[in-house]
Amino acid sequence: MIRLQNIEKVYRTDTVETLAINGISLDIAKGEFLSIMGPSGCGKSTLLNIMGLLDEPSKGNIKIDSQDISSFSDEKLAKFRNHKLGFIFQSYHLINDLQVLDNVELPLLYRTSSAKERKRLATEALEKVGLSNRLKHFPTQLSGGQRQRVAIARAIVGNPQIILADEPTGNLDSAMGNEIMEILINLNKNEGTTIVMVTHDESMAHKTHRLVRLFDGSQVQ
Amino acid sequence: MYKHLFKLIWNKRKQNFLFLSEILVSFLVIFAVFSFLTYYYQNYSKPLGFDYKRVWSISYDNGELPKNRDSLAIFYDNLYKSLQAMPEVEAVTFASANFPYSSSNMSTGVHQNGKKFDFVNNYVVGEGYKKVWNVSLLEGRWFSPEDAVGTNQKIIINETLKKLMFGNEPAIGKLVGDYEDKNKMKVIGVVRDIKTNGDFWPAGSAIFSQLDTGYLANNHNILIKVGESANATFESKLYKFMATSLNNAVEIQHIDEMRDAKNEITIIPMVIFIIIASFLIINVALGLFGVLWYNINKRRGEIGLRRAIGASGSAVSYQLVMEALILATLSLVVGCFFAVQFPLLNVFNVPASVYLISILISVLFIYSLVFICSLYPGKQAAGIHPAVALHEE
Repeated sequence: MIRLQNIEKVYRTDTVETLAINGISLDIAKGEFLSIMGPSGCGKSTLLNIMGLLDEPSKGNIKIDSQDISSFSDEKLAKFRNHKLGFIFQSYHLINDLQVLDNVELPLLYRTSSAKERKRLATEALEKVGLSNRLKHFPTQLSGGQRQRVAIARAIVGNPQIILADEPTGNLDSAMGNEIMEILINLNKNEGTTIVMVTHDESMAHKTHRLVRLFDGSQVQ
Repeated sequence: MYKHLFKLIWNKRKQNFLFLSEILVSFLVIFAVFSFLTYYYQNYSKPLGFDYKRVWSISYDNGELPKNRDSLAIFYDNLYKSLQAMPEVEAVTFASANFPYSSSNMSTGVHQNGKKFDFVNNYVVGEGYKKVWNVSLLEGRWFSPEDAVGTNQKIIINETLKKLMFGNEPAIGKLVGDYEDKNKMKVIGVVRDIKTNGDFWPAGSAIFSQLDTGYLANNHNILIKVGESANATFESKLYKFMATSLNNAVEIQHIDEMRDAKNEITIIPMVIFIIIASFLIINVALGLFGVLWYNINKRRGEIGLRRAIGASGSAVSYQLVMEALILATLSLVVGCFFAVQFPLLNVFNVPASVYLISILISVLFIYSLVFICSLYPGKQAAGIHPAVALHEE
């Protein structure tokens, strides 16, 4: 589903050159649940951003769903992200000025669908994460766990094949974290969604199919 | 998408209050400026209705002249003939003080079929007035000496008053009531409107009545049209002739200079107003630019998120520009509500078209201003790197 070939990412400033990712190659199969671990600054999030087409590698090749995305224009990349990928972030990234339902509808705004259809899909997604009773709430009126569930609903509302989760349980206590993890495992199991998750939590990582460890930008496991 | 943007704007109405207020105030100022400009332009574009070039006014005082009416009439008749006989003089007329570009106004009210028309300019003129100013007759005829006698006083009206009183009906021969509707005046002619207050002011409605030679003691103005050969030497000669004849001081003024002075009274305040408004608009533009820039920096996380979930750079840019335009629309709706009261209530007796055109131009101006001010911040937002913006949050 995702093929990374010899990916390198270098951050350059006028005086310093930092090698964030050093020649990583990785194949992630369709329906796989993969976790990435490593110390802070080892390049986990950078690798996830590259997989999510939010960042470009300095070198190497990336294929998603057998498509080489290196020649994609900004418009095509945006469309690709919208249809194929879903994102979950540690800090949720919900828009506080929008109600829960509107937050979940967001990815559908960049597709051609009616308001009625958007509402139906968003409600369904919120039902899946157990938040159908919070449609009209604002994110600030929700707990951390509920906010992350809204973020998951937003990630799945467009029915993407891949979900990229950057420390989804990082801001939550263990009980909440487990709840979120359960939702992700069910998504993977029931919907066949490919999930790549960056985490610091060893116990969470062990619940996934495969664990990849990074150190100083290189894959060590 | 628009519904989404409306929701977002509505939920952030407190944060957007400054932006909305700025646009509203700017709109009202721009509306005022454009109302003036449109009004002046509409008046300017109308024909002047007369020829002011080479017309001089001679103002004098009757203090040292004979008091007897008949003697005075003979004196002025001689004076008139002497002036007409001068080779440099093409036409001569006596006129009331409210001749074109003077600072005097004289108005009256007239009645027609029981309806009163107020603020009608009342020009008291001699027979030579038409020739001095080259006034165009649209209907009927100009005054003749025989008009001084007869049952009804003869008057000539201008086209504005004719339209107000008679519409498209012919006006010649119709009787019009005076200020108190006690005496009837007979319309013998209709002349083209003459803009006596400057190029930028309307002619208004007007009647022309014949100067009674019996009342020349109360008249203090002679107007002459001079030929191209009239120069400073002639002016000096004319001054000496008039001062000697009247045994008093006289003042000769060139109408073209009076016209310039009269127009300056309108132009100078308008230029000052435009300069002040321009500074305001520059400040508003910088303010809008600043507010939009600030908003974008505050919303970097949101922009990163939108990019991640499927918005292209141009979609982000479009969204921010549209948000600014929707905010402007909300302010303009409120602004237009106030502005539209001016034509509805006929404020300042200005034609409704002036206000309506001004509203339209002001709306377009504000949209253009907001669009231009939001373009660059929108472009900057499109350039925000999603990975960096999401990481910052």
